[in-house]
Amino acid sequence: MALLQIAEPGQSTAPHQHKLAIGIDLGTTNSLVASVRSGESTTLKNDDGNSILPSVVHYAADKTITVGKAAKDQAIADPHNTVVSVKRLMGRATKDLKTLGEHLPYEFTGEETGVPRIKTVAGDFSAIEVSADILKALKMRAEKTLGGDLSGAVITVPAYFDDAQRQATKDAAKLADLKVLRLLNEPTAAAVAYGLDSGEEGVVAIYDLGGGTFDISILRLNKGVFEVLSTGGDSALGGDDFDLAVAEWMMAEAKITELTPSLNRQIITEACRAKEALTGADSVAVTLELDGNNWQHELSKESFNDLVSSLVSKTLASCRRALRDAGIDKDEIKNVVLVGGSTRVPVVREQVGQFFNIEPLTNIDPDEVVALGASLQADILAGNNQDGDLLLLDVLPLSLGIETMGGLAEKIIHRNTPIPVARAQDFTTYKDGQTALAVHVVQGERELVSDCRSLARFELRGIPPMVAGAARIRVTYQVDADGLLSVSAKEEGSGVETNVTVKPSYGLSDNEIEGMLRDSMENAKEDMDVRKLREEQVEADRVIEAIDAALLSDGERLLSADERIRIDQSRIKLAEVRKTSEKAEIIKQAIKDLEKTCEDYIARRMNQSIHDAMAGHKIDEYTADKDA
Amino acid sequence: MSDLFSKNYFEIFNIPVSFDLDNAQLSVLYRELQKEVHPDKFVNAGEQQSRLAVQVTSLVNQAFETLKSPVNRAHYLLKLAGLDIDHEQDTTMDPMFLMEQMELREEIESVRSKADPLDEIDRLMKQVKKMLADVMQSYSSAYEKEKYSEAHEWSRKMQFLNKNTQELDDIAVAIEDELLG
Repeated sequence: MALLQIAEPGQSTAPHQHKLAIGIDLGTTNSLVASVRSGESTTLKNDDGNSILPSVVHYAADKTITVGKAAKDQAIADPHNTVVSVKRLMGRATKDLKTLGEHLPYEFTGEETGVPRIKTVAGDFSAIEVSADILKALKMRAEKTLGGDLSGAVITVPAYFDDAQRQATKDAAKLADLKVLRLLNEPTAAAVAYGLDSGEEGVVAIYDLGGGTFDISILRLNKGVFEVLSTGGDSALGGDDFDLAVAEWMMAEAKITELTPSLNRQIITEACRAKEALTGADSVAVTLELDGNNWQHELSKESFNDLVSSLVSKTLASCRRALRDAGIDKDEIKNVVLVGGSTRVPVVREQVGQFFNIEPLTNIDPDEVVALGASLQADILAGNNQDGDLLLLDVLPLSLGIETMGGLAEKIIHRNTPIPVARAQDFTTYKDGQTALAVHVVQGERELVSDCRSLARFELRGIPPMVAGAARIRVTYQVDADGLLSVSAKEEGSGVETNVTVKPSYGLSDNEIEGMLRDSMENAKEDMDVRKLREEQVEADRVIEAIDAALLSDGERLLSADERIRIDQSRIKLAEVRKTSEKAEIIKQAIKDLEKTCEDYIARRMNQSIHDAMAGHKIDEYTADKDA
Repeated sequence: MSDLFSKNYFEIFNIPVSFDLDNAQLSVLYRELQKEVHPDKFVNAGEQQSRLAVQVTSLVNQAFETLKSPVNRAHYLLKLAGLDIDHEQDTTMDPMFLMEQMELREEIESVRSKADPLDEIDRLMKQVKKMLADVMQSYSSAYEKEKYSEAHEWSRKMQFLNKNTQELDDIAVAIEDELLG
């Protein structure tokens, strides 16, 4: 007889308790947060009734941190201490800034190959910390509006973000004390917002032109499964570049040769205003205040279109490549969805419509659609919508490879491979008695390592000394559902698990993150240990809840009496420790013990569900096809 | 888990081991399987379950990618039949086929000099696809008769023809990009 009621009274988590989960669109220009409330996805507004939070952070000398509109208002007066478009710096090294940043008004510190830090009067901050400040503001808004602690967040990233940029985003969430349920690609999020509403089936294209990034994704929608067929784009092309094109035109027309940071801000702000005005007008007056004199010029829609036409063409070239990668003809595309504020620019709409030969969909606010989609996914991942038939299958946006002789990149996992994905590769030693091996992992499509993005260098150590070529070291590259890479290695002959230390080429090490967390805690007078304890308690609850649900559904079918007793004992022990222990380590150990006890059972369950799914399919194949 | 990881890719989807495979049906099975194993289904189940889900989904993805591509499927079948095709020594090819390939390559290389290169690419693409379909047919019947080394030669031809289609695609994209400026 199975023991069904094992939980301590009052401690049992009610199975259908609604969990607070949010979707966050962490954008280059603007950020938003949305949540599903009473079955409906809505963006959450601030006190002034605005849902858009400008992605701008101002650092004052007295260490006051301001985020959003109030920070944006200080951008012209105090450009050095007002950080805008920080997303463009995510996952970038100091040496990358030269290609992005002639127009960035900040001063940077940090080594050439390290993480750049923006110099402000309140201290030097990395892009990760600045992003964390934006996330904190959104989190506070959500907690205030929803009235409780958040169980987790889905944070969107451009589909085209590489590993370093994704990792940086996840690190920012960690600093902001947000549990990331999933990093979701922005176009996929938009597809969810549209697709779930309409129950649409077929192939769709999502054209997402944001402030600083461009993404194109081709998806197949089928009975709640959103399968990304291909994705492409440019992680450094967006509406900001439209502004820059106008700004350069202004500088040439006004014969400005020397730029102060403040004038630079003024020009870019005016360029952005002109761009937005041209959405509804055929021409706009552009003005600047130069040394006390007013400079004014007319910018027609036609000239504007000329200024940005090469940028739009670049996006269409990406669309073509994405179609080809998906193996889809243009005329198979049923719908085109426009996402991102920059798709408000009329010439973009026209060109995209012409290219796909379809009138693009814009009925959901392009600023809100990504956050809305993310919140729908968050709601399901948090477990609120058990019957929700939604599954997102994504792909690797950029090929992963390793450096080989002569500085060439050898591809290990090709772009647009569905994720999660694992690939193993065998290496051997080339010298007698060699005990270590260096591997350099890169991401990108180019042949030369120097043209790809360096992700990590790691060393395999502790290879048993053998004659050259005798060792067989199997390196496994694993990309998870967030698109993040991890590496493990093993010497196959001896079975020695080789020690892999992956040193990220850019980004912060775990120690640095921990250090930053500690710093921020000191300010908030919180204790690191308390946080760690809390994390383990949450994990313990999660594990207990999951195992209870599993036992209830098939414990009797899949477990022998002995196995069941061992698992029950281990589970009771964990519940006890969870309640009484003040030490994170002890709870962690009890979790590990329970997991170890359940290892076979968990595997058996997975096998069973696969078996059932495939076996069941044979029987109802006909009916399924008829439904389709 | 040893159970699942020791299955071959066809067994994972519970379909017969054969070259002839309905891609639409495979896609349906793939989506059904993903609904069971994808890590998103285990977000709240603790780290151990999540890790296992990542591994299993990786395997399912690998199986799907291998089976849905005819060339990969053809090679995989030969591996299952015991051919060591990763370390093959004998790479001799049918001279007739090689001649054909040389002519085809010349045509592909001279596409750009044609009056309407994109039309020419379409024409060549149709031609290559037709050849590919024939070769696949031949592979299938050789494989079914368990003539594996003959099947292997057909699979190498598939590879060549596949490469031809990729080259044509590459040129088409390059030309279109130039037209866009």
